[in-house]
Amino acid sequence: MAIDWQQYRCENFYDELFGGPGRPRPAARRLAEYLDDLSNAELAERRLAAELAIKVMGISFTVYSEGKNVDRAWPFDVIPRVIARSEWEKTEAGLKQRVAALNLFIQDIYNHQKIVKDKVFPAELLRESVNFRTQCVGMKPKNDVWAHICGSDLVRDRDGTLYVLEDNLRVPSGVSYMVENRLVMKRVFPELFDNTTILPVDDYPAQLYDMLVAMSPRPLDQPNIVLLTPGIYNSAYFEHAWLAQQMGIELVEGSDLFVADDDCTYMRTIYGPKRVDVIYRRIDDLFLDPEVFREDSVLGCKGLLRSWLKGRLGLANAPGAGVADDKVVYAFVPKMIKYYLGEDAILPNVPSWLCMDDKDRNHVLANLDKLVVKPANESGGYGMLIGPRAGPDEIERFRGLIQANPRNYMAQPTLSLSTAPTLMNDETVEPRHLDLRPFILSRGDSTYVTTGGLTRVAMTRGSLVVNSSQGGGAKDTWVVDIEADGPPAQSQSQSMAGAR
Amino acid sequence: MLSRVADDLYWFGRYLQRAENTARLINVNANLLLDLPKGMTMGWEPLVQIVGADQAYREHYEDSTEANVLRFLMLDERNGSSILSSLQQAREILRTVRDSIPREVWEKLNDLHYFVQGRGEMVMSRTRRQEFLQRVIDGAVLVYGTLTTNMSRDVGFQFLKVGTNVEQADMTTRILDVRSTSLIDASGRQDLAPFYNIQWMSVLRSLTAYQMYRRHVRARVNRTGVLRFLLQNREFPRSVMFCLGAVGACLPQLPQNRNVERTLWRVRALVQDANIDRLVERGLSELIDEIQIGLGEMHAAFAQAFFRVEPA
Repeated sequence: MAIDWQQYRCENFYDELFGGPGRPRPAARRLAEYLDDLSNAELAERRLAAELAIKVMGISFTVYSEGKNVDRAWPFDVIPRVIARSEWEKTEAGLKQRVAALNLFIQDIYNHQKIVKDKVFPAELLRESVNFRTQCVGMKPKNDVWAHICGSDLVRDRDGTLYVLEDNLRVPSGVSYMVENRLVMKRVFPELFDNTTILPVDDYPAQLYDMLVAMSPRPLDQPNIVLLTPGIYNSAYFEHAWLAQQMGIELVEGSDLFVADDDCTYMRTIYGPKRVDVIYRRIDDLFLDPEVFREDSVLGCKGLLRSWLKGRLGLANAPGAGVADDKVVYAFVPKMIKYYLGEDAILPNVPSWLCMDDKDRNHVLANLDKLVVKPANESGGYGMLIGPRAGPDEIERFRGLIQANPRNYMAQPTLSLSTAPTLMNDETVEPRHLDLRPFILSRGDSTYVTTGGLTRVAMTRGSLVVNSSQGGGAKDTWVVDIEADGPPAQSQSQSMAGAR
Repeated sequence: MLSRVADDLYWFGRYLQRAENTARLINVNANLLLDLPKGMTMGWEPLVQIVGADQAYREHYEDSTEANVLRFLMLDERNGSSILSSLQQAREILRTVRDSIPREVWEKLNDLHYFVQGRGEMVMSRTRRQEFLQRVIDGAVLVYGTLTTNMSRDVGFQFLKVGTNVEQADMTTRILDVRSTSLIDASGRQDLAPFYNIQWMSVLRSLTAYQMYRRHVRARVNRTGVLRFLLQNREFPRSVMFCLGAVGACLPQLPQNRNVERTLWRVRALVQDANIDRLVERGLSELIDEIQIGLGEMHAAFAQAFFRVEPA
């Protein structure tokens, strides 16, 4: 016996797989038993097999460091994160509700601004939003969808509550790793898939393709859909190529496209120009179209916005959708859900203090050493203050930043992110913190949520930073159907204790 | 097919072929040096000339020692044509055109790239060098084989094949050019005659042409025979004529373009009509220059016709 689960110290946090040392949660029971039966040598062999599979399959991401782009193999832990289907169904409903409200909000903001007139959402927030695009005012995209693809980050606190940490509505990435992680697991632990009902995840590219087809401005059987990438130096390039390949669409760069006098978008082919109907763009708004946004952008293509505004082109996500992807706007999502849908939020937000509010700001400034402070518009974990881990100098620096520009900051309590057992290089297991990023596709007439999502792990002991650009890794995420697998021996009550 | 992708596939064919050819070239030169008499300094410099990287070499190295030249040709990332650089570029391209090429090809190329990157240092020992180079050659052949057995013969494949053959024709003429001028002049010295011939044999060997030459030519290895075989033979896959024929065979599947056809016919006529028997040393060099220019024009014609599409 290799892994001694009695020695697994997970009491200080909520552990996704274990209720306590030696006590797996029902959904994880079969997995724990299976790992129990493997010898150290077998475990090491599987771990190395996974590393090799990742190298051979070329699953990588690009990091920019020391003036060079380095292609790194995807850091992966072979012990999956397990979620019971019953819990997942509730989460899924919460995500659908959330994205529905966000899309209604964006459409409202660019048209009548009812939510501002009704004083639910402060006008000053809108005025100062860096992601608000005046060019989009008055636009109603096909099917009224702006955020077609959303990646929401979920975290679980010590008491087991699952919170939404943020919604990524611009160009969320990671979905390819979600699917590839599963392929690696199937290569390395095929027998696990025999005795557990693990819901499949590989449907995503087909769902994405159908959604993009639904956006086409021309009623065609086979509209011409392309994926626009900034190119091989982008950290998510692997994913761009992967998605294009999975959907059988062209992977294009800005220089492959042009917008002609008829306001239609074309791509350059060996047969001459060919009309493009829908672009899944993985380029930020500001680089999309040098005609209206940043003039110096070489990544985008002149005229794309014009083509879109004239209804000759579908763009996912819509330009300007990022207005709702702002850590300050985030705090208003529960109110949006109430305002637009008349419902209570199924998934809670992390409690947040907005520095623009005098009372909140005073609280934040008085408790900087206990809080996490985030700027409104950074991603990838940059520009943050983690109070309990910061020195006095950094705390003072943030005090200055907040006072200079309160609108740009919000603060949250430091959550005790949940953990899951992670295999170390010496074949022991230790708890590591993690989060979960599901992806939500909105077509207008229906919404699709990935089964589970991408589980990101902070590979360093005690670390809370899960971003791959900063030393994070990933795990396969299993949504398992315990009912289909027969009743587990242990009582089910303890595992559900944390779910809302 | 996107113009950029066609361009990428073309270059993928070229880089893969380049890595393989460079490995063969080094292997053969190493063997040749072992056979030469003491005091004959053919050395490693001609290899740098063959790949046309003299200037880059001189920027980074002072003298042409074996270790320097080998590092430059195999592993130096500052040499855009080194084996490692070629594989890296082929790999970067494959990443950008992953959707047009079977996944297995990517896995094989990735393997080869990691092998060269990780094990390259062992080439510094002579005993293991041959094994290393052989694995590079085998790896490149495996990538190409995986490609040809798994990829649809679509238009993308044609561009890849054009690139492979343009590169081979280019490399064959380069080898002939450098080898024919740097070969020892054996006319005055009877004792050097045997070495004169082994050099022509090494030319054949660097193109893996020795065995096929013997089957076709059925005469001892000599200058005229080798030149005729490597320039004009229509059956040997590394001869210039064969490569041009292969490019021609791709054209019916590409959008028609008169300029591409014209430049191809011109260089084919040049090779086909050359009277090898009567070429003196200088004439050979001029012929090869003309062929190289012809190949360059052909490359430009392809780029103009397919890789750069202007708005209508």
